[in-house]
Amino acid sequence: MNQTIVSYLSELFAVNFSPWVVILIFFVAVFVVVNVMALIGGLATYAERKISADLQMRIGPNRVGPYGLLQFLADGVKMITKEDTIPRDADKFIFALAPLLCLLGVLATLAVLPFSSGLTLTDLNIGIFYLLGVSSLVGVGIFLGGYASNSKWAMLGGMRGAAQIISYEIPVTITILSIVLISGSLSLNQVVERQGAFPNGWLLFHNPFSFIGFFIYFIGALAETNRAPFDLPEAESELVSGYHTEYSGMRFAFFALAEYIEVFVVCAVATAFFLGGYKIPFNYGAGTLLGQALQVAMFFAKTFALYYVVIWIRWTLPRLRVDHLMTICWKYLTPIALFNLVGIAMWVWLFNGRSLYMIIKQALVISGK
Amino acid sequence: MTPPNFDVYLPVALLMGMAVAMVVGALLFGKLLRPNKPSFLKQSAYECGEQPVGVAWSYFNVRFYVVALIFIIFDVESALMFPVAVVYRRFSELGAGASVFFSVLIFIGVLVVGTIYCWSKGDLDWVRSFTISKDNYHQGREQ
Amino acid sequence: MFLNVVFSLSALLTVSGALMVVVTRNLIHSCVFLLMSLLGIVGLYVTLNADFVAATQLVVYVGGVIVLMLFAVMLTGGNNTKEVLSRFGFESLPLMGNVKTYFWGILSAITMMSVAGNLIYRVAQSSLASVLEQYKSSVDEIGTKLLTDHVLSFEISSILLLGALVGAAIIARPLGSKQLNEEK
Repeated sequence: MNQTIVSYLSELFAVNFSPWVVILIFFVAVFVVVNVMALIGGLATYAERKISADLQMRIGPNRVGPYGLLQFLADGVKMITKEDTIPRDADKFIFALAPLLCLLGVLATLAVLPFSSGLTLTDLNIGIFYLLGVSSLVGVGIFLGGYASNSKWAMLGGMRGAAQIISYEIPVTITILSIVLISGSLSLNQVVERQGAFPNGWLLFHNPFSFIGFFIYFIGALAETNRAPFDLPEAESELVSGYHTEYSGMRFAFFALAEYIEVFVVCAVATAFFLGGYKIPFNYGAGTLLGQALQVAMFFAKTFALYYVVIWIRWTLPRLRVDHLMTICWKYLTPIALFNLVGIAMWVWLFNGRSLYMIIKQALVISGK
Repeated sequence: MTPPNFDVYLPVALLMGMAVAMVVGALLFGKLLRPNKPSFLKQSAYECGEQPVGVAWSYFNVRFYVVALIFIIFDVESALMFPVAVVYRRFSELGAGASVFFSVLIFIGVLVVGTIYCWSKGDLDWVRSFTISKDNYHQGREQ
Repeated sequence: MFLNVVFSLSALLTVSGALMVVVTRNLIHSCVFLLMSLLGIVGLYVTLNADFVAATQLVVYVGGVIVLMLFAVMLTGGNNTKEVLSRFGFESLPLMGNVKTYFWGILSAITMMSVAGNLIYRVAQSSLASVLEQYKSSVDEIGTKLLTDHVLSFEISSILLLGALVGAAIIARPLGSKQLNEEK
């Protein structure tokens, strides 16, 4: 509880670090994590184009680099060399602040992601609650981006985006609440430790309520990150790119980077909460750096699998109309999430928190004797 | 009182600082590389080729405000439920599961009653449905 | 050492944010500075070892109340900053306007400070500091207290939220046909 990567390393190497070395190690770790996430964000744009091409039976980018892998670098160079036009009547202070708020909200959530049992940047006691709080900065950033552009398209996109994000935060928060009921702790590492490596140990199959809860969380998280089919705020054919109509070049790149990293964070939280996180079978190599590396690899594998599903959904389903969007949230997802909450509370009380698999196993053992 | 251990919050502060550094650094670095030739047309708002008329801010619908209000109620409710959810399992293992479950049930139940009220009165609709009844039949016809 | 740094930064953020809220002419800028001020309060809670309260502040205030205020500002016509109360003298400062307002404001501030200071003095007299040291993880303690000592407050807070929900829904409802007919 309340462990950090530095305390883990000092345990591993049996060394007590002085405060300045602590800051240095944190700085290096944070630098590595941010760079890896930016790389993942860039590769995600490439992956999205390739996967969408695959789904639409064409090839996608294949000119820049082997198999078009360096496409995102070319896009980055293009964006950095584009002219930075600020609309004449725009609010300059807020125009500059909005992408910063979005990126701030997303990068600050990286601090609590459970990459492995020791290499989490910081294992806060209030991990998931902190994550939910910080990711609401993104909603404020979207609204301010829409407002600052002084254009009707952007304004409407910004208001709809903020309304969508705050609406879908409710089923997501209530589903996370119901999982916290089972795990008994808000810290993400503790939630992962509560699960096992094989599917029967996952919280996904713990009881039927959490199974439904996974889908509620997934749909709500898709809507929170403005991903299709919930991408009305940035709808390409309706609002001419919505709240980032007037943003060009590097500022737009920050919005896009924030969105792709946020999808990664949301998938990471889904694997930590429902799919067993970084747990590897038989706890192979526990306590060694090799074990940690394997755990990180497992975590990333599960998260990327969910990321693929997110991209798949975008290119399969049509966009939702705005009143359908709100109806789904308030009239379908929220009642189901509340029902799940009460159901899981009842399950934990009646069966003492055992999973369905454990109950069946114990019943068979007792009847077998 | 023992001062809190700030080591845990150091990555948070460093990440926020790095976000700011990234944004500011990339924009400053780009200043060296990118052209800067502002023109009247380039700085006008995009309106699919037409000239924009009037201000962008206009009076918006009240439905956004209603959504934000209902969101705050549910948000405060879930924030109050979080500490209860954390100790729930411990209580049920100690045998006091029934009382804790019914506390949670009453808490959620009261709010569900409120939600049902809002739903039935049509506050959760994005587009308020206007049913023509005897009262407003003539109202509609006059306009 | 860290404690002083974090405290001074958070306090600076809070106070300067609050000052800028009342000084700027643009209403949306006021909301953004309010956001800054609330983030400073999050830092202050962290220095007090109340990590759960800090996160609650982040979730409820930054996530909910700021968005609500931004929507409210947009709803009521945006930023008409053309009107200034009077062009000359003390009242041309974009703060509150009137000498009378300042007088009553300072008087009520002094009254509230003396009452609050009295209360805090009495609380600080008791040995609360030694009790707080035992709180290793504030979330567990808050949860336990909510379910044992203060379960009635817990349930009553849900009724309070019910009242707020129903009140908000009724206030934001458009006028019914009966009320429209009465106005005619």
